[in-house]
Amino acid sequence: MIHKANLERIDENIWQVPQSFRGDMRAPARLYADEALLDDALQDESVNQLINTATLPGIVKYAIAMPDVHQGYGAPVGGVFATRIEDGVISPGAIGYDVNCGVRLLASRVRADEIAPHIQDLATALYKNCPSGVGSEGSVPLNAKQLDDVLESGSEWALKNGYAKQDDLQRTEERGRMSGADAAFVSKRAKDRGKDQLGTLGAGNHFIEVDRVTEIFDAATADALGLFPDQIVVQIHCGSRGLGHQVCTDYVNDFQRAARDYKIALPDRELVCAPFDSEPGRAYFKAMACAANFAFANRQVLAHHIRRAFEQTLAGKVRNWQLAQVYDIAHNMGKVEEHIVDGARIKVCVHRKGATRAFGPGSPVLPGDLRDIGQPVLIPGSMGTASYVLIGTAGSMEQTFGSSCHGAGRVMSRSRAKREVRGDQLRDELNARGIAIRAGSLPGLAEEAPQAYKDVSRVVEMEMREMCSY
Amino acid sequence: MKLFEEIPHTADWSFRAFGRDLRELFANAAHAIFAMQGARADDAANEIERVIELNAMDREALFVTWLSELLWLQEAHREVYTHFEIESLSETDLRATAFGKPRVAMDKIIKAATYHNLKIEQTQDGWQAVVVVDV
Repeated sequence: MIHKANLERIDENIWQVPQSFRGDMRAPARLYADEALLDDALQDESVNQLINTATLPGIVKYAIAMPDVHQGYGAPVGGVFATRIEDGVISPGAIGYDVNCGVRLLASRVRADEIAPHIQDLATALYKNCPSGVGSEGSVPLNAKQLDDVLESGSEWALKNGYAKQDDLQRTEERGRMSGADAAFVSKRAKDRGKDQLGTLGAGNHFIEVDRVTEIFDAATADALGLFPDQIVVQIHCGSRGLGHQVCTDYVNDFQRAARDYKIALPDRELVCAPFDSEPGRAYFKAMACAANFAFANRQVLAHHIRRAFEQTLAGKVRNWQLAQVYDIAHNMGKVEEHIVDGARIKVCVHRKGATRAFGPGSPVLPGDLRDIGQPVLIPGSMGTASYVLIGTAGSMEQTFGSSCHGAGRVMSRSRAKREVRGDQLRDELNARGIAIRAGSLPGLAEEAPQAYKDVSRVVEMEMREMCSY
Repeated sequence: MKLFEEIPHTADWSFRAFGRDLRELFANAAHAIFAMQGARADDAANEIERVIELNAMDREALFVTWLSELLWLQEAHREVYTHFEIESLSETDLRATAFGKPRVAMDKIIKAATYHNLKIEQTQDGWQAVVVVDV
């Protein structure tokens, strides 16, 4: 068990578990947190899970916990680590079941006061147009060939089929299509599970939220992103649905034998892994890329549905309701990237679980209009609290393999949240603050109550102070 | 003997399942996942039987594979399973039948069963298993 006394304080808000803490660690483990956030992280299994990731073969520099870290399975949620491509591993369980769960931000050019009279109608139209909840089916039926096409081409499929604008792809991580995807490496079971789910939000902490821009911290950057005070914007948070869950399930099971064959000792079987440059490693990467593409296409189809809901509700009543895409980012992914380690530029597989890519200015993978600015990083807060748009910096590239936190981070179990919060009361409280809610399940709403999460502003403040984004 | 109990987990769900023997443990863990999801069946529909045959590298892998199989079946067929007959069970192989009906509603869906901190242990009263599931 890890205690505060075992941690070295590297900086005011950077803590490190030295490699000597446990004999099986191959690198130190680093946490970005103030004292209060650190105390939260030490309350559950987060730090032990982070230390476990630091034992994986080929890990470089250190394993990292973002300020929003919390207990997950295998790797913690808010965990980042990089393994050498040459002789390191890839771990499906450390990437997570909801592959490319992510966030998309769409921006109108309408002011909040202009749509205030239409908020309830807009909430209803969004709820009707965007299938959500447990077992929801999509509005985009796919045959086997079409599904394979989605898996291999992601948002490009959406563009070809009228669900996207060219600009949407420009403003999506990987331009909405992970290269290396091969649908032959996705099981029939995964395809069966996901074939009716394209264009669905799902349940749990997934959401569509209409927001108002309340504060601008950097006018020039906000202007470049098309953001201005009092503007109405929309966030989408969802992922690869049952298809991604099954891809991860399949490969976590397959890798149990692979890890044994490659004689990889593991502190937790959920961190099961195989060499990146091996037959099982390459197979998983191709399948994970397919699940990621499904998620990009899923958020793209949802964006299409949201645009329709805006049109149905606002066309002819207000001007400038049309939605342009600000950016779309992935949370749970393994990405092949180049980073500077010990003074040398090397190729690594960056595992981000509940963490966001945050590339700084000058990155060649960013589209031209963002290259001088840096990558937008979208940090949703819990219901009724703020969300943030940050920008990756040179600091994030140096310190965190170009990564950032992904949200507020939970502090309360779902069962405790349901005991302490009543869904109908929460809905009424939010309604009284002018926040319209549509949810399939009131107990589900209670599980996602703001008090179940950390203070997102505190999490973001850590980022701004210590490492990467502003 | 109770079938299972929930264990607090910050982000996902965890539970401890009990059984007088391993067959009962496997059946009760299956009950746990459907009970925790609040899955409700169409009572008027005819009963459905799903025969399940599995092989895995060891007992823990077989246990996770069993729960994963049920999660796949419920999502692929939109069914809820209410009782389970474990017909044969060894360290690495299982044959069972899950009995159920079409699903009419569900409060929550479990995405996957994980190996994280999985413990299958013999106790004074029989067997118990601690599992974390992704929700």
